[in-house]
Amino acid sequence: MSTITLTDLTKHYDSIAAVDGIDLDVLDEEFLVVVGPSGCGKSTTLRLIAGLEDATAGTIRIGGTDVTDSPPEDRDIAMVFQNYALYPHMTAAENMTFGMQSVTDYSSAEIEDRVADAAATLGITELLDRTPDALSGGERQRVAIGRALVREPSVFLLDEPLSNLDAKLRVHMRAELSKLHRELDTTTVYVTHDQTEAMTLGDRVAVLNDGTVQQVAPPQQLYDFPANQFVAGFIGEPAMNLVPVRVRDRPRGLVADHEGFAHPLPDGGSNSALVDRRLTFGVRPEDVLLAGRSATGHEESFEARVTVREPLGEQLLLHCTIGDDELQVKVQPRRDVSTGDTIRLCFDQQRLHLFDPETGDAIYHAASEDQPAKPTPSQ
Amino acid sequence: MSTQPTPFDSTLQALGLLLPSVVVLGAFLYYPGLETFRLSLYRTLFLGQQTAWVGAENFVQLLTSTAYHHSFAISVLFAAIVVTGTLLLSIAVGYLLFTVSVGSSAYLIAAIWPYALPPAVAAILLNFILHPNLGVFTHYLEAVTPFTLDWFNSGPQAFTVVAVVAIWKQLGYNIIFVVAAFNTIPKTLTERATLDGVGHLRRLRSVYLPLMAPTLVFLTVMNTIYAFFSTFPIVDLLTSGGPGDATNLLIFKLYRDAFEFNSLGLASAESVILFALVAVLMYVQIRVSEGYAQYGA
Repeated sequence: MSTITLTDLTKHYDSIAAVDGIDLDVLDEEFLVVVGPSGCGKSTTLRLIAGLEDATAGTIRIGGTDVTDSPPEDRDIAMVFQNYALYPHMTAAENMTFGMQSVTDYSSAEIEDRVADAAATLGITELLDRTPDALSGGERQRVAIGRALVREPSVFLLDEPLSNLDAKLRVHMRAELSKLHRELDTTTVYVTHDQTEAMTLGDRVAVLNDGTVQQVAPPQQLYDFPANQFVAGFIGEPAMNLVPVRVRDRPRGLVADHEGFAHPLPDGGSNSALVDRRLTFGVRPEDVLLAGRSATGHEESFEARVTVREPLGEQLLLHCTIGDDELQVKVQPRRDVSTGDTIRLCFDQQRLHLFDPETGDAIYHAASEDQPAKPTPSQ
Repeated sequence: MSTQPTPFDSTLQALGLLLPSVVVLGAFLYYPGLETFRLSLYRTLFLGQQTAWVGAENFVQLLTSTAYHHSFAISVLFAAIVVTGTLLLSIAVGYLLFTVSVGSSAYLIAAIWPYALPPAVAAILLNFILHPNLGVFTHYLEAVTPFTLDWFNSGPQAFTVVAVVAIWKQLGYNIIFVVAAFNTIPKTLTERATLDGVGHLRRLRSVYLPLMAPTLVFLTVMNTIYAFFSTFPIVDLLTSGGPGDATNLLIFKLYRDAFEFNSLGLASAESVILFALVAVLMYVQIRVSEGYAQYGA
């Protein structure tokens, strides 16, 4: 059992709180990705778990044992660094065994076996005699991971391990890491600023901002039901459209009223607490649809003017203005739309969100969490 | 291929800009250097006013002189002690400075301060501290231990005192480089060693020193030059080569032969031998270390 439990974990640098009271549970054998913008405290959190930083307050438990004040070598963890942290004067094999010889009582035969196993798993057997300067970036990262593997720790900590690789290799290594975790089932905490890595790798994803946990959820749930405006804006590329609306009670139910559109809120009828409030309306660019000609005059469609047209290859991104606000819309790539056109748009009924503009908290999702949003109908 | 902009307009202008350096180097380095080689083949009188060609006679005289053999031997021993002593101490002090988290710059200033003293001032200062009758250190040493410090009369003690002062004087210079080298070691390598639970001594030996090897080679070479050439004022002010010939290092002996005994030709020959000795040592040091030092990557 190797769970990690952080309770009210806090780290201050002078008066600045880098980590501000984090409560987080990492389940046994889970792959938890911690994601957030630069300076959100994600690396500090990982370094606190590793023991490279001392916590100002709070506790860290690994496998039920309080390790808050234990030195790193007693925590049974292995860490992979962004810049690999390989000793340049040692061969790959020496790099992998160096740490083990210093603290453990393993026989050299056992160490050799483990190195051979790890090297076979990672496909670096023929690289073991090379020094880091004779290895490519991807090979160095494999050696760095191999170094963590040979220790057979109860917890893996990875600090942006793919950031120094080029885009193509990153995608490849991402898949390898995923495969590796399925084979080993070791509890893993993975820190990244890259939301694609977060979404693809994590069993669950923890979104951090300003040293606090914003939301911890499986990737799709994080995407479909963001707990607050920060998560809504951070996860998803391009970011969710957020525009101010006023909720009005109309005969047919609640309506989100904007100067450019008035859109009904499905299942919002019962929620009288929303009525007449000024809220932030959120909809993802792919959930804004081009309304067909037949829909013209339909009460739910509205007009928007295209100001920028960005062909992305697999999709066409349109920046449109409605009233004083901008809406980004993803449409099929070969749509005949040009800058300056006026188009008619409508929203996917199931994929609307409302946020409290003061606190940022989500107060309404069109789909309910027990029956996740239906697949987007093809445009 | 980008073309480098030329910083001068014509070859003539380039030569003109080089001229001041060439004149200074020629007048104060190359000409005296060549003169020394020439003089080493002559016997001189009246400060070199009259010279007579003697060929290799000066060298033959030196190679057969027991006094010169002695001076040569103690100079090599002295250099070996000063070079290793300075390196080991500066690594020890540098590692402490690198590891300490509070007030490291204050410690650093304290550690390199002796380097800021002129050698003559340093020698006089330490003469007071280590003086056999008046020294503060001597007083407590003799009060606490049965040991008697009497380096005015004891040759081995005088040799030790000169070596200690020479090491003390050169420490600051070494510490600057050693601390700088420690600080260029990527922080993640230290963190990784911490995570692996690698102890301080093993960390120093297996991680830090190999990564600092280029700096250590440089310091070995600089310390060798220092030990052979720059220790003259220390010997002159502390022992004047005595007692007997105990601290009569090559650099001091050749000064005395030239300016006290007026044998400029003989002293020039000594100078040439010293130059060759240090040149060979430096060559060997650099070649030997090539296999160990990690440059780049």
